[in-house]
Amino acid sequence: MRMRSNLFWALKKLQSISAISRIDHLNHRSSIQSAIATASLSIFRSFSAETQPQLSTDLIKVMEQRLLAIEHRSVCLENIINQPEASPTEYSRANKELRKLRGSMELINELRTKQKEIEGLKSLMAECPEDKDMLDMANDELGQAIDEEKRLQSLLLKSLLPKDDADERGCILEVRAGTGGEEASLFAMDIFKMYERYSQTKGWKFEVVDVTESDLRGYKEASAAISGTDVYGKLKFESGIHRVQRVPVTEKSGRIHTSAVSVAILPQADQVDVQLKNEDLRIDTYRSGGSGGQHANTTNSAVRVTHIPSGMTVSIQDERSQHMNKAKALKVLCAKLYEIERSRIHMSRSKLRSEQIGSGDRSERIRTYNFPQGRVTDHRVGITHHAIDDMMQGENLDIFIDALLLQQEMDAIASFSSTH
Amino acid sequence: MKISVIRTYSCNTFPIFHKPKTQSLSLCTRFRRPICSSSLKPKTPLFLRPPNYSATLSDLKKWHDWAKTFSSSIGSSFVDSDNGPDPSLLCRELNWLIEDSLEDHSLIPQLGIQDYSTNVRLRVDIDELYSLWKQRIEERKPFQYIVGCEHWRDLVLSVEEGVFIPRPETELLIDSVSDVVSNNEELRKGLWVDLGTGSGAIAIGIGRILESRGRVIAIDLNPLAASVASFNVQRYGLQNVIEIRQGSWFEPLKDIEIEEKLSGVISNPPYIPSDDIPGLQAEVRTHEPRLALDGGLDGMDDLLYLCNRTASLLKPGGFFAFETNGKKQCKFLVDCLENDNAGSFCNLKIVSDFAGIPRFVTGFHQ
Repeated sequence: MRMRSNLFWALKKLQSISAISRIDHLNHRSSIQSAIATASLSIFRSFSAETQPQLSTDLIKVMEQRLLAIEHRSVCLENIINQPEASPTEYSRANKELRKLRGSMELINELRTKQKEIEGLKSLMAECPEDKDMLDMANDELGQAIDEEKRLQSLLLKSLLPKDDADERGCILEVRAGTGGEEASLFAMDIFKMYERYSQTKGWKFEVVDVTESDLRGYKEASAAISGTDVYGKLKFESGIHRVQRVPVTEKSGRIHTSAVSVAILPQADQVDVQLKNEDLRIDTYRSGGSGGQHANTTNSAVRVTHIPSGMTVSIQDERSQHMNKAKALKVLCAKLYEIERSRIHMSRSKLRSEQIGSGDRSERIRTYNFPQGRVTDHRVGITHHAIDDMMQGENLDIFIDALLLQQEMDAIASFSSTH
Repeated sequence: MKISVIRTYSCNTFPIFHKPKTQSLSLCTRFRRPICSSSLKPKTPLFLRPPNYSATLSDLKKWHDWAKTFSSSIGSSFVDSDNGPDPSLLCRELNWLIEDSLEDHSLIPQLGIQDYSTNVRLRVDIDELYSLWKQRIEERKPFQYIVGCEHWRDLVLSVEEGVFIPRPETELLIDSVSDVVSNNEELRKGLWVDLGTGSGAIAIGIGRILESRGRVIAIDLNPLAASVASFNVQRYGLQNVIEIRQGSWFEPLKDIEIEEKLSGVISNPPYIPSDDIPGLQAEVRTHEPRLALDGGLDGMDDLLYLCNRTASLLKPGGFFAFETNGKKQCKFLVDCLENDNAGSFCNLKIVSDFAGIPRFVTGFHQ
């Protein structure tokens, strides 16, 4: 199928082909597929800078309508501003909207100039078909101008696609051992460390928030705060069930076990984002009895924060002061409340949107790590990577992430052209 | 005067406690020294020492394994005997000891994984690590004295044997000051006093909240505490905001006109009833300075003295907050402030700590 080969081609550009052995398309995403198909797109896009994106004529038509609407709106707003009788509120409202459109308008103006240039060159070539030198020169310039037009169109398209404001934020990573007992806990630890190393390679700050160890020193639960640029945007697709197939260290007979770990990625938020009031919080310590204060000298400064309206609690114990434990607990709580609010908004959006990847469905099995076969497969993009050890060292995770980002963009384009 | 009666009573009935209860006015004059003249040099906390030692990762792991086994061997005996630490808490402390000793923290996750022959740089000799952990378990030496610091709020304060270790509960005193000055610029700009500052925790906490608009004078009778507090103040670059004075309670302020001048008086004075001292957790009983703990027969000696004096020193609208031993002392203090100092204070509040124990009495001068 065309879609598949396009995705495949784009991925080839992203990383060396040798790493990827299999691309098969997503059966469970047939709705999106058909949405894309009905829009009859031939999307030929990639994130890498050196490739020139190719937008389909249909898509360009859809976009052109949007651009005309923006230009029209911009003119209207200019008129309001230039009207002496406009009220101060009208004026400032118009001014504000105009400022929002400015980025797009600059690109549109550039595009229009380029399009005029193309027209000019075309008519020049039509006027003097005999002058070969002239034709060659004009043709060269035309080629360049068309490339430039495409570049501007692709930039404009990107600016028109819906954006998740949370993408730029840091995130809270939560890893939880699922089915599979001790082996699941050991794998939860491996996964947690994979993200720690991946964050290091990205130059992000990885702060362990809390770890609950299992008997064999695996992680029953672990969380971390990851900060840096576009952390959430890159990691959001990691939410879901990660399945592992391997012979556990605890297994004597050499039988392969299957266990699962769940990963949640939440965008970081602060008290202002979630409008958290102090009255809504109850903070307590669960230190064992006694009079406390000067009576006790303990390094245990664990804190539990309860959000009274929702009943949600977060406990943190690994920091060395109560104050810092509390600060961390609040950070996690805010991220969780923010996520609840986001998913509430998300649910109220169109069906199509909620079916896209990254919708945060944490019960979805997204990836399988098969150690005996040395492979990792992402079930959403159907890509298998054959160097599992590198993957666990936090390398090459980008193979999946870039593919998922590409998928997201294709989905967005599909919904862009089907809804406008 | 109420205070002197209690004082005499406690001294007479408990002659066994020979260390002079120096907070009493008559005694403290004897102990008064000129401001911070002490030549006591504070010890450098472990995490600030140069990484002059080295050991292989395998030797460090060997020590770590030994220390973990040692810690586990105590079982619940400390908890049972005096509500002391359990093995899981000790093992967490052990991780922090490694954190403070090791120059390169990124090696911590590798401890026990690979490349045992790698040399690591340490701030303390590996033999010393054995001896330190023995002191922690066998002598019940507080962990904070082992590493020479206490993490308190967002601060890391130097502490050493002889200086009271600030408690997590006390962190809340700073929040109460923060709430008060956040909408009262007048108080923020004024003079604040931290009585019995110890390591300087409260003073530094307040100093950072005042944002160099106000000033803090921190007082401690114990010359070692005063010098450790000075060290901590300097480490946070607050010399221009906080002044450390050595002496008893308000005594070192004699040279300043402070009657009805202070913006705030904050204190965590000794409040443990003398009878409770022998039953305290070993870390506290045998290692922390009794001067900072023993509040006399009912633990109220110093609290009552401070409350009575505070009435005449706070300016109108001035704020005070005191830490107490719990519900009984809080109630007693509020009672006292309402009756004995009738009309001096308003907005009296009992504030609980995070364990739900009524811990602080706060209020404003009329």
